[in-house]
Amino acid sequence: MALDKLLGENSVIFTKSEQLFDAARANSLWYLSYGIACCAIEGLMSAGGPKFDYDRFGIFHRGSPRQADVMIVAGTVNKKMAHALRKLYDQMPEPKWVIAMGACACTGGPFREYPNVVLGVDKIVPVDVYVPGCPPRPESMQYGFMQLQDKIRNRRKEMAREQRSA
Amino acid sequence: MSSAALSSALSAAGVPAEVSEEAIGAVARVPASDLVEALTALRDADCAFAMLIDLFGVDTGEQLELTYHLRSFARDEDAYVRVAAPYDGEVPSAWRVYPSALYPEREAAELFGLTFPGHPNLKRLLTTDEVELPLLRRSTAIRTQEEVHDR
Amino acid sequence: MTPEELSQARITPEGEAPAIVLPKGLRRVPRGVDELATEHLIVNMGPQHPSTHGVLHILLELDGEEIIAAEASLGYLHRGIEKLAEHRRYSAVGTLLDRADYISGIHTELALAQATEQLMGIEVPEKAQWLRSLFSEIVRIASHLIAIGTYGMDIGAMAPFLYIMREREALLSVLESVTGARMMFNYVRPGGVLRDLTPEAEPLLRQFLKTFPGYLEEYHTLLTGNEIFQARVKGVGVIDRATAIAFGMSGPPLRASGFGWDVRKERPYAAYEQLRFDVPVGESGDCWDRYLVRMEEMRIAAELIEQCLDGMPEGDVMAKVPKVLKPPAGEAYSAVESPRGEVGIHLVSDGTDTPYRVHLRAPSLMNLAVVDEVMPGHKIADSVAIIGSLDIVLGEIDR
Repeated sequence: MALDKLLGENSVIFTKSEQLFDAARANSLWYLSYGIACCAIEGLMSAGGPKFDYDRFGIFHRGSPRQADVMIVAGTVNKKMAHALRKLYDQMPEPKWVIAMGACACTGGPFREYPNVVLGVDKIVPVDVYVPGCPPRPESMQYGFMQLQDKIRNRRKEMAREQRSA
Repeated sequence: MSSAALSSALSAAGVPAEVSEEAIGAVARVPASDLVEALTALRDADCAFAMLIDLFGVDTGEQLELTYHLRSFARDEDAYVRVAAPYDGEVPSAWRVYPSALYPEREAAELFGLTFPGHPNLKRLLTTDEVELPLLRRSTAIRTQEEVHDR
Repeated sequence: MTPEELSQARITPEGEAPAIVLPKGLRRVPRGVDELATEHLIVNMGPQHPSTHGVLHILLELDGEEIIAAEASLGYLHRGIEKLAEHRRYSAVGTLLDRADYISGIHTELALAQATEQLMGIEVPEKAQWLRSLFSEIVRIASHLIAIGTYGMDIGAMAPFLYIMREREALLSVLESVTGARMMFNYVRPGGVLRDLTPEAEPLLRQFLKTFPGYLEEYHTLLTGNEIFQARVKGVGVIDRATAIAFGMSGPPLRASGFGWDVRKERPYAAYEQLRFDVPVGESGDCWDRYLVRMEEMRIAAELIEQCLDGMPEGDVMAKVPKVLKPPAGEAYSAVESPRGEVGIHLVSDGTDTPYRVHLRAPSLMNLAVVDEVMPGHKIADSVAIIGSLDIVLGEIDR
């Protein structure tokens, strides 16, 4: 195991079970393949392809929200889509995360002036990581995923700190 | 060339039309009540405009104008049929002549606020009830910079 | 008493019905399923579905496995491209239209640039025309690759997708080196193109042309020769010539139905008049023909790229155009053959620096309309094959 190499053979580490689970969760992020617009080609297809290969980070796509950990909102969300988006988010099992990919999902992007467009997906679901760009390059999405992994790994620490300060 | 063919086909069918040669090609302006007869005549006459390429509306500021873009493969040329309709007015549906009009008519009905009597399925196509219509008219404003920045 | 006699006894009109005593292990009198009524089932396919190519929502009425009726519900990506274009300057409209047909944005840009040039009477330098043709064909291959790869995925073949992505990345690196972007190019502008080929672009393209025929053979081995794939697509979703014309179809779906209309041939634009190429035409108009037409178009597009590189003239890539474009009042229509069909821009100008009306003639919308007509009678699994073979892009359908 990799831990043996890091800590020496037959070593023992003490941790909280939740922290251990979070470390595992961070390395196995299954995203819901929910491409809405242009960003889906870059963030879901090119990134899943051989050149960028998300699979090596343990990031893989699922067709069903019931089996997904993270939802990438890749594209413009309008008022008709907002209902479907919320329904999909509600179906995902806890713990779940959302990445807003691209200018449209962050703020409405080049279409923000149109009355039918929702100004940012954070109006509908809580967003963990914002990835700017129109569309972001697959590398940007990888960086976004790494930020999310850090966030997941440090989740317990953050919660403990909040409890202490409260 | 094509404007002569247009006007002869239309006058043979007894449709009052105003045909002119414009920058985009031959344009026949017909009254909305005669639209279906005009399209049928153009499809079936010698000029054989077999395909409806497109259908779209323009808000001229006083009224709405619907343009039917037709193509004849036999003559290898395009022609346009244009009808005017008042705001919230009615234009007969052309789907029995050209089935390709089904979706563009629904779109125009929604975004320009028209009705197409005879259309089999004139439901809202693009937006839900929470959006105020019609969106594509010139008088409908888009969001201002302040609204966008305050989000 | 047997159960039948018991059930008969129960419905005797006179007196109390005797309590049914069932043998051990039986909870009710078996009656079979004849009395069960079947009803039609409405299935919502989409807007989140791995095989609808975006956010298409199709309502299917099913009788068991068989489709009785189908209706597309659109608008999940309606973001007002036509409306916003009325509030942008001419030079900025291209950025919106890129995002309409986002897999092959360059064709929509080209249609807009040509319409603007028609209105203003701008003469485009010859080199710019050749570059336009060159990039149209590069993007055509990149787009058809996605169509073929995702089609394989829809049908159940995962591997081709990974192979096509390899070639697509090779093309995207060329596009990136010249236009600066992988997808949203804004490369074709009214009056010409943004810039000339970069020094590294031509070797990259030549290298691609050397390897592409071999790779194309690989796809044929992976998909065309695959018996499961053939069984899923042959004879499925037949669109005959008359239906295709009545529904205003264009592009590969029209040509697969046996009607060889191609804007590049019939109304030549850019440098297509000087280029030699064939237009592949199908016979029966089923999903198999549409797939084969796309494969053949990729081969022809690779030849066209070579012709463009060999015949590229010298000169400017941009005509002298004013900084702020103000076309005179009037109308123009310009059509371009995109990988999906005839993309047209109908431009109405009122003499100011913003368009009065921009209408995008979306080939995907016309091609999609035919599913209402074609799907009934097929099994539900065929619906995926039919949608995939039409290769729609929701960005330009909803606009």
